[in-house]
Amino acid sequence: MTTARVAPAPIARPRERRIGTRLFFLVAAIYFILPLVAVLIFTFAGRWTANILPDSYTLDWWKQAIGNPELVGSFSTSIVLATGTAILDILFVVPAAYWARVRNRRLRPIIELGAAIPFCLPYIVIAFGILQLSGIVVPGLQGTFLLLMLGHTAIAFPFVYWAVDAAMSAAGVERLSEAAEACGATPFQIVRRVIVPNITPGLVTGSILAFATSFGEFAMAQVVGRGLRTVPIWSAEALRSYISAPGTFNQLAVITFITFALLFVLSAIIVYWNRNQTLRLLPGAAAVAETERG
Amino acid sequence: MSSGVSLQDVRKSFGSVHALDGVSLEIESGELIALLGPSGCGKTTLLRSVAGLEQPDGGRILIGDRDVTGVPTRERPIGMVFQSYALFPNMTVRQNIAFPLTVRKRPTAEIKARSDEMLELVNLVPQAARYPNQISGGQAQRAALGRALAPAPDVLLLDEPLSALDALVRTRLRDEIRRVQQLVKTTAIYVTHDQSEAMAIADRVAVMNHGRVEQIAAPPELYETPATQFSATFVGSRNALELPVRDGRVSLGEAFSVPAPAGSSRAVVFFRPEDVEVGLNGVGLPATVEFKIFLGATSRLHLVTDSDGQEARFYADLPSRRAVALVPGARVSVRVEPTDVRAFPAGG
Repeated sequence: MTTARVAPAPIARPRERRIGTRLFFLVAAIYFILPLVAVLIFTFAGRWTANILPDSYTLDWWKQAIGNPELVGSFSTSIVLATGTAILDILFVVPAAYWARVRNRRLRPIIELGAAIPFCLPYIVIAFGILQLSGIVVPGLQGTFLLLMLGHTAIAFPFVYWAVDAAMSAAGVERLSEAAEACGATPFQIVRRVIVPNITPGLVTGSILAFATSFGEFAMAQVVGRGLRTVPIWSAEALRSYISAPGTFNQLAVITFITFALLFVLSAIIVYWNRNQTLRLLPGAAAVAETERG
Repeated sequence: MSSGVSLQDVRKSFGSVHALDGVSLEIESGELIALLGPSGCGKTTLLRSVAGLEQPDGGRILIGDRDVTGVPTRERPIGMVFQSYALFPNMTVRQNIAFPLTVRKRPTAEIKARSDEMLELVNLVPQAARYPNQISGGQAQRAALGRALAPAPDVLLLDEPLSALDALVRTRLRDEIRRVQQLVKTTAIYVTHDQSEAMAIADRVAVMNHGRVEQIAAPPELYETPATQFSATFVGSRNALELPVRDGRVSLGEAFSVPAPAGSSRAVVFFRPEDVEVGLNGVGLPATVEFKIFLGATSRLHLVTDSDGQEARFYADLPSRRAVALVPGARVSVRVEPTDVRAFPAGG
């Protein structure tokens, strides 16, 4: 990535402040990157005793992790689960948020109350609630992948809702929606052609949050998805069996790092792919883009 | 190609507020009518009702011969321009203009030809590939006008289209909108709170107040003979004085004397500052110049008189060349032709 040239500040900042800003940025970068570096080093660590860096390095953990069918299995389960959760959440939240904002504002308090529930109740309580209810209504779904995905959709929905709703507010969807309607667009065309393209930053943020929520969720996966092996479930089991099977932590580090890299690359791709879009949608960003071109 | 609009006893309330209190209006085909009034008078609600963005509680709205009262917005033969432009940020100027045709699934060749025509019409050919955040406010509103006209609507609806623009662009774009409207001969409803804008652009002006149409008239008629006190206050800048009625007449000393409106003891009189004749020859009512404001070609004198022991203040506009000697404190005499004075019952 090249250094972005931004519009010159109207008044040159004093040197001390510039140094201060850089120092702050450096500290923040270390704070965020150091744990990842540690995880990465751990995946290659052979013997690691009292030194800052490992005594020896090895590729064994990577080979073992990738060659471990249980680990690979739980990893792919988690990926499918988290992707499905993110997609379901977007499909559910975008029309709902649009409707509550543009067509019937009386729905907003109801949705917002619903969005508060996953924050008020521990996931384990919600999980047992889902277990009880599904036992009465749809006993056939119990213990299935689908029910767990629906459960994750429910707990991740507030993140998606707030991200999407904020993006809708920033884009002024009420106004755009009326304009599109006056142009003869149907509600589906409005959402598809006008609303969605103008809230992409919110969609990206929301789906990454939903993905991450589902990927790292433990309690519900344990209770609702009985028998399903997700990465957190596998990790918990690995923790328990650490003494008997040394190296599982290193394998866990491998999976953690792969997951992180995947999410990072994913968001980088989306951000890069949307960069013009994002620039168009950010107030004042045009000036910056102008400078970049010139 | 365009058709007239007929509004019949249109009513709309928001809670206890009567936004539209039985509005009836006949708009002829190809006519540009301005809805003029202060904020909250119902003019925007009326426009949005024609668009279908508000559903009236009662009454009928006809476009041509078709009753559109319950018809959804997207099926009405309208084009709309909003105060905030409301261009789609994810589309270029060309795509914005083509949007009404795209959603109606017109053939590609037709969309191309029609958007070229519209870009030409609103003078945006060089900006066709730009995005809304890369063009000026005036250009954005022209793009919005092109978008509204692209499907060749029967009625063009404009909701304060110039309010977000600065003064210079405003007059230019006002004339531009008028030119385009006359070129495509579409019926147009233009909402504004600016009386000079309304008079400059419209064939007829409907003055609205408290959800009703107070007067509908061509701009010169509205300017010269306001039918109600509200019209008189709202249109043009006028002197307003409340005076007592004596022997069926209302007068301001020797300045003027006109018949009073029937059955009232006090009357409000309106007269224009440019109709006040200021002289130094002693004919008329003596007055003192309080202060003078230079406006360029004309100067505005703020005058104070003592008529029947009652102080009255009003102002007079006269060519700046003639006002040179009239410094604050100067004594002058004023007269107003009785035909230039309009009297209404006080308290109405």
